[in-house]
Amino acid sequence: MSVLEVQDIHKSFGKSEILSGISFSLDEGKVLSIIGPSGSGKTTLLRCITQLERAEAGKITVDGDTVFDAAETATLSKAEKRRRQLYFGLVFQSFNLFPQYNVLENVTLAMKLQAKEQPDFKEKKDEIFAAIDENARSLIDSVGLSDKLANYPCELSGGQQQRVAIARALAMKPRILCFDEPTSALDPELTNEVLAVIKGLVKLNMTMIIVTHEMRFAKEVSDRIIFMEGGNICAEGSSDEIFVKSENPRLKEFLGSFQS
Amino acid sequence: MSFWEVNLTIMQGLVTTAELFFLTLLFALPLGLIICLGSMSKITPIRLIVKTIVWIVRGSPLMLQILIVYYGPGLLFNLPLLPRFTAAVVTFVINYACYFSEIYRGGIQSIPKGQYEAGQVLGMTRSQVFFKVVLLQLVKRVIPPMGNELITLVKDTALVRVIAVYEVIWMGESFIKKGMIWPLFYTAVFYLAFNGILTLLLNRVEKKLDYFH
Repeated sequence: MSVLEVQDIHKSFGKSEILSGISFSLDEGKVLSIIGPSGSGKTTLLRCITQLERAEAGKITVDGDTVFDAAETATLSKAEKRRRQLYFGLVFQSFNLFPQYNVLENVTLAMKLQAKEQPDFKEKKDEIFAAIDENARSLIDSVGLSDKLANYPCELSGGQQQRVAIARALAMKPRILCFDEPTSALDPELTNEVLAVIKGLVKLNMTMIIVTHEMRFAKEVSDRIIFMEGGNICAEGSSDEIFVKSENPRLKEFLGSFQS
Repeated sequence: MSFWEVNLTIMQGLVTTAELFFLTLLFALPLGLIICLGSMSKITPIRLIVKTIVWIVRGSPLMLQILIVYYGPGLLFNLPLLPRFTAAVVTFVINYACYFSEIYRGGIQSIPKGQYEAGQVLGMTRSQVFFKVVLLQLVKRVIPPMGNELITLVKDTALVRVIAVYEVIWMGESFIKKGMIWPLFYTAVFYLAFNGILTLLLNRVEKKLDYFH
C-alpha cells in the first residue's frame, strides 16, 4: 500500500523552473533512491517533500493525509504545520547537528521540547525525560556511538556526526526518513560507515527516500529508483530496470560517467 | 593636595563613568536587537527608515550627537533642557544600539541556514529554534566584536565632558587650576584598569563557550 503520494509538484526559483511536474508514489517499507546530475532538482524535490520549500503547484499525501496542497490557501496553525512536518525525518548533506549540545542532547532536544506540551508533563517530567533518554541511548547505540554520548559534534568525525544525525531523525519516529546526499561531504571510508547504518535501516523496513550519488549503494538497497534530469523524471523503475535493462540514452550516459 | 586626594577625586568621576557605561549597556543591548530586526525586516519602508537612522547615527560624531541631544530640544522647540547626565545616557544608548545592531546582524547572518532547517524538520517552533538552537551560537559569535565595542564605549564616555558631566577626565583636568597637570594624564590608569577588568570578564565568557565550535 502506498504511504507517500507525490502529485505534479512544480517549483521555480525566480524565472528558472527547477521541478516541472513531479509525481511518484512510495510503498510501505520500501526504499526509493533519486539519482541524477547536479542541478536536476533532486534536492529541491526532497526539500519540497519535507516542507523546507513550498512548491507552487501539486499535492503531497502521507497515508492519505494531505501534508501539502498548493491549492490550500488557509494559513495552518503551528500545531498542524508540525504534525505534517513530523511525518518526515531528514538527514542533511552537511549533518547540521547542534554544536552546543552533546550527542545525547542532540538526539533528545526536540523530543524534550515536544514533551513539555503534554498535559501531564509537570507531574511526570522525570519519567518522561527518562524514557526519552532511554530511547535516545538505544538509537545512538544502534548507530554504534554509545561511547560518544557526552561528546560534542566538533569532537566527532564527519561519519560519526552523520550517524548522530540519523539517530536524531529517528528519535522523532518519522513515517518516512529522507536523506539528502548523506555521504557527499564524507571521504570513502566514512561514507561506508554511514551507508552501513542506512543498510541497517533497510533491514528494519524503514520507508526511505535517498538522494544520492553513490550508484553502487543505490543499486543495492533501492526498491525503486527515479532518475531525474532538468526537473523531470527521466526514467523510473526497479534497481534492475534502471541499472541493467534500461535503454534510456540519457540514463546510460549518466551511469556511464560513474564507471571510470 | 596628596596623591590620595587626587585618587579620591578621580574616583568620583569614575563612578559617573561607570554609571554611564552600565546604563548604556542595559538599554543599548536590547535596543540594538530591535534595531537589528528592523534593519533585516522584510517590510521595505521599515528597513529603509531603520537603515537611514543607523547611517546617520554611525556616520556623525558622537560628540556632536551629545550636544544635539542636550541643547537641541531647547534651541529648536524651546523645551527645558534634559539633565546633563540623562542627555548623555540617551545619546550613548542610541549611538551604541546602532553599532550593536550591526554586530547582531553579522552574528545572525553567520548562523548556517541548516541550523534553522534542522530545527524545523525536528518539529521545533520558530521561537524554540531561536532560543534553544541559535541563541547560544549567536552569543558566542558576537562576543569578540562586542568586546571591541565595549572597550570603545569605556573610552567614549570621556566625550560627555562637552556638556559638563563630571566624568574621569573632567575630574583629572580640574586639578589644573590648582597648578597640577599630572592628574589629567594619570586618568589613563583608571581607563586601563576598567578595560583590563572588562577584558578579563569577556575572556572568561569566551572560555566558557569554548567547548563547541
